[in-house]
Amino acid sequence: MRTSRRLLFACGLAGIAAVGIPLAAVAALSHAPDPLFHDGMEGISAGPFTDSDASRFLAQATFGPTDTDITHLRSVGYTTWLADQFAAVPTHQMDYVNWASGTLGEQVGQGTRTEAWFLGALGGPDPKNNALIHTDQLRQRVAFALSEILVVSDQNTELGLNGATGMAYYYDILVDNAFGNYRTLLEKVTLSPAMGVYLNMMGNRRAVLAQNVHPDENYGREINQLFSIGLVMLNPDGTSKLSGGQPIATYTQSTITNFAHVLTGWNWKSCDTSGYDQFVGCYTPYNTPGDYTTPMVAYETKPANESGQAANYNYHDNGTHADDTHNKQLLTYSGAANGGVLADGGTATNDLKFALDNIYNHPNVGPFISKQLIQRLVTSNPSPAYVQRVATVFNANRASATQLKSVVQAILLDPEARYIGNIGTYGKLREPLLALTHLWRAMGARHACGQDVPFVPNQSQASYYANQPYRYAGYATAWSTGGTQYQGIAQAPLDANTVFNFFKPGFLPPGEMSTRGLLGPEFQLQTDSIIALSANTFDGFYISYDVSDVCDAGDVIGEVKIDHVPDYALAGGASGGPADALVDAYNHRFMAGQMSPFMRQTLLNDLNAFDNSSWGADWKTQRINRALYLIFTSPEYMVQK
Amino acid sequence: MRPDRRKFIKQTICAALGGASVYSALGQLQLVQAATRASSYAFSDYKALVCVFLYGGNDSFNTIVPYTQSAYNAYYGSNGVRPKLAIPRANLLALSNTPTSGDGIQYALHPSLTGLQTLFNSGHAAIAANVGTLIEPTNQAQAWAAMNNNGGVALPPQLFSHADQAAYWQSSPPTNQPITGWGGRIADLVASANGGNAPILTSLNGQDAFMRGVDVNGYIMGTTGASVIDLGYPSRQTPFAALHSGTQEANALERTFASAVNHSTSTAGVINTAVASHDFSAFFPGANYDLAAQLQTVAQLIYAANANQNNSGANYGGLRRQVFFVNAGGYDTHSDELNVHGDPVNPGILDLLSRSLAGFYNALASVGLANVATAFTASDFGRTLTNNDNGTDHGWGGHHFVVGGAVQGGKFYGNGSGFASNLASPNFGLVMPSLANPTTPYGILSPNLNDPGDGYGRLIPTTSVDQYAATLAHWFLSGGGVDPTSDIGLIFPNLANFSPSANYDPTNGYLGFV
Repeated sequence: MRTSRRLLFACGLAGIAAVGIPLAAVAALSHAPDPLFHDGMEGISAGPFTDSDASRFLAQATFGPTDTDITHLRSVGYTTWLADQFAAVPTHQMDYVNWASGTLGEQVGQGTRTEAWFLGALGGPDPKNNALIHTDQLRQRVAFALSEILVVSDQNTELGLNGATGMAYYYDILVDNAFGNYRTLLEKVTLSPAMGVYLNMMGNRRAVLAQNVHPDENYGREINQLFSIGLVMLNPDGTSKLSGGQPIATYTQSTITNFAHVLTGWNWKSCDTSGYDQFVGCYTPYNTPGDYTTPMVAYETKPANESGQAANYNYHDNGTHADDTHNKQLLTYSGAANGGVLADGGTATNDLKFALDNIYNHPNVGPFISKQLIQRLVTSNPSPAYVQRVATVFNANRASATQLKSVVQAILLDPEARYIGNIGTYGKLREPLLALTHLWRAMGARHACGQDVPFVPNQSQASYYANQPYRYAGYATAWSTGGTQYQGIAQAPLDANTVFNFFKPGFLPPGEMSTRGLLGPEFQLQTDSIIALSANTFDGFYISYDVSDVCDAGDVIGEVKIDHVPDYALAGGASGGPADALVDAYNHRFMAGQMSPFMRQTLLNDLNAFDNSSWGADWKTQRINRALYLIFTSPEYMVQK
Repeated sequence: MRPDRRKFIKQTICAALGGASVYSALGQLQLVQAATRASSYAFSDYKALVCVFLYGGNDSFNTIVPYTQSAYNAYYGSNGVRPKLAIPRANLLALSNTPTSGDGIQYALHPSLTGLQTLFNSGHAAIAANVGTLIEPTNQAQAWAAMNNNGGVALPPQLFSHADQAAYWQSSPPTNQPITGWGGRIADLVASANGGNAPILTSLNGQDAFMRGVDVNGYIMGTTGASVIDLGYPSRQTPFAALHSGTQEANALERTFASAVNHSTSTAGVINTAVASHDFSAFFPGANYDLAAQLQTVAQLIYAANANQNNSGANYGGLRRQVFFVNAGGYDTHSDELNVHGDPVNPGILDLLSRSLAGFYNALASVGLANVATAFTASDFGRTLTNNDNGTDHGWGGHHFVVGGAVQGGKFYGNGSGFASNLASPNFGLVMPSLANPTTPYGILSPNLNDPGDGYGRLIPTTSVDQYAATLAHWFLSGGGVDPTSDIGLIFPNLANFSPSANYDPTNGYLGFV
């Protein structure tokens, strides 16, 4: 029944399709997508075999498929596509930030960093050199997934006020190491000033009991709980190990305390200890931060021209002072070097390496990180077998500089990613930010309007937004995606309320999914208010704006707007006519051909009514807007399958 | 051999339900209601319970501080427990001179808490001392043994972890992955007693564990009101509704999303009408999408509920019991604590807390509704009694405020059991440094029990979250023609571990502050 209806349309029997189907008959149509048939004779990596295959893959591996992307992937296949992506030049936020501040003379803020992120996420021409095309979609998508595990956020007061450049520098660490080695990534993240500020390792110092000073435990806790091993012991397939029916903790409080003592002695490189002791006063929030683009350094050697005892200038707890923790017991597991005990007498650098190795070599890391990457890219409820296949690749490449490249490839080419198992439970709810990037990529969004404002002392900051189609700025669009949960889509890069990201990996949505034990992390962000705000923001801003709209004379910054015109040919005939071509094209572009017969007919019943006589001269724009709105708010689109 | 208390409780509840596990017991409250009582709650009055959650773990040990000179010196002096966080004594706001702990010390509030000082001294605010997550009463030796995996007592999992402790405060189950919050469980109990179409469980800022009921879904709104999906064109309504059935979708995630969309729409209209029913902005000057704005909106919603509860045709007809959740962040003061807390010259988060709670009380009092609402603070944990460089680390027990016309204010409350039992009565568990040995406060968790000053200053709670919450639940559930004691025991399973004492009577108002 479903297939035959498709054949009717494909055979051009548009006359039948133009007749509105009675509601009762519509209701009888299937709510499930047509199954994607594969003969299974060729291996997965020889695909994609259909446009749907290609579009599904691109939804997992990019910021949203476009018609061009689908065609290209069909022609080159997964293997070549992946190879091209692994070789593509990385897009660095610091390049954009340095151009904005150095060349344009603008003041760098969170808006600058957000523009830089959208440049990487949307791809396309570079604003400072339009001939340079950004194509590193997979790398950027993986970096975004990593940013939701290794969280820093501008909701931290200091980072929000002073840390925009530092956060761009931090994001570039994720970009540069997205296909690299996780141990290397952990170390670079640990020593980044943005993370040092966010989780208090910056300026953390050894205990001084006489002053009741103790090392802060924030980073020691979160690097274990969130960035590496989690709270409970895992099997290689990501399920929890049980003892007597109960999960087993990965560490105790004393473990965290010991990590806190190890992670001491690091501070801004620019702390000046040659004059007088500035380690303690060096980190002064909200005032004069150090250089956010240089890794933290260890303060453990008394400068030659300092008076005073050498012992007073060593801020790293290496077990040799009376107030230190001696022979720190870190994580214990089978095969842990020295039984997880960090011996006294090391340097800050070597002690840090020991601690990071101790974490990295814990058997939890493979499944803990692999499962979350699967959840961010493919599906919320991967089978344990899927998790184990990917974790095996993670572990097999522990020493490799291309570990995560192998992991990402394993995730995307796994049968469970390429084929839908159980249509009833497969998939993931799209994040609002990823739905936005999909819309903008697939609808040719560019920045429009805006003016050039040169710097005038005591009057204004410089900002150059005139004729800048590739600077993705705008109060109502690019800049307003985050902030508090009262505006826009309540999500922006590196903008989560807490170090626990916008949602926790183990979130169970109330109701049917909770009862069935189905994880739905992204649902945690979809509160009643955010659902409404997101829908209204898509409606009023993202969909309704057009890149050729007349500009407002007072609009200094401009906005990011989509381009409706290329879809006019799809939208219908001269003054009306059936909307089939539009619906089918959008099914292809946005929904991987998985739009159910029910949804398709529901859209047609509504869109067919848009014509010149009922809507006037811009009826095609209205029809396109209606189609986009109904699709982007629909459960079938919002659940990426 | 000491019996395992958790197993004992499990078996008791299992017996009541004919064999179901304790976790499914929480999901079968209606079954228990039916099984144990002839009728459900039937309220004739209206009450609102307001949880004010302070994310990050408030340093209540710089919020409520000793004022008596010798105690002040022991606290903030150069040999004290937190010299780097000293507040000038002249700036502190003294609380009415009521003996509190067994050592007769007078206490004061942080200089920014002028509103709370007024409320306390006029009897409309109480302080519950040293409240924290506990499964069973725990003393110093027991806690230390348990933390080193040497048995002893059962401890809540993942102490000192923000997310886990915030979740435990809000859900208080013996599990790491809370399925319900106690705000939700209380709402479940009263769901059938409420008429109307207004939400009975509402958050003014985000979703969290507190808001999760089994039958009742928490409603999330903003400070300016509910957000409504704009389907302004008449013809957009039809396809939108068709695409959001919530039951016909072929995929569970799709059904869940569709249901979430419908939930948003159906209640938004009701909410916005209620918010517009009254304007309390005069009691919240400077409110700006913050805690003050949240509490102003709650006050206006409470006004609407009371103005309409006897109007059977309105959405609030028959509405009797509502639970609200408001919150503020920024309390995780690892560094720069004095600045973050603020002072009267440069107000910070404590000023916001005080004027928000005072504004809330005064607004409702102005329309004769002071007694219908009880607001209480909660937080991930208290913080270390000792300071790090210029802040504090994650702690365990902490003090909390309870505000409202029904509160028996102007006093301290708390179980005062466990380690503090060697202090003279009345003892509420306010922990002060020993005047003989200022660096070893009672109850401090120390890695070396014989080494003064070597601990981190995490105070073991002397009152459990369950006891605190049960006191609030008892007030909330009273007046419904049903003795709520057995229901309270069901929704706080660990409560049975805590025996009655001079300051805690489960047969007479629990801790007794409301």
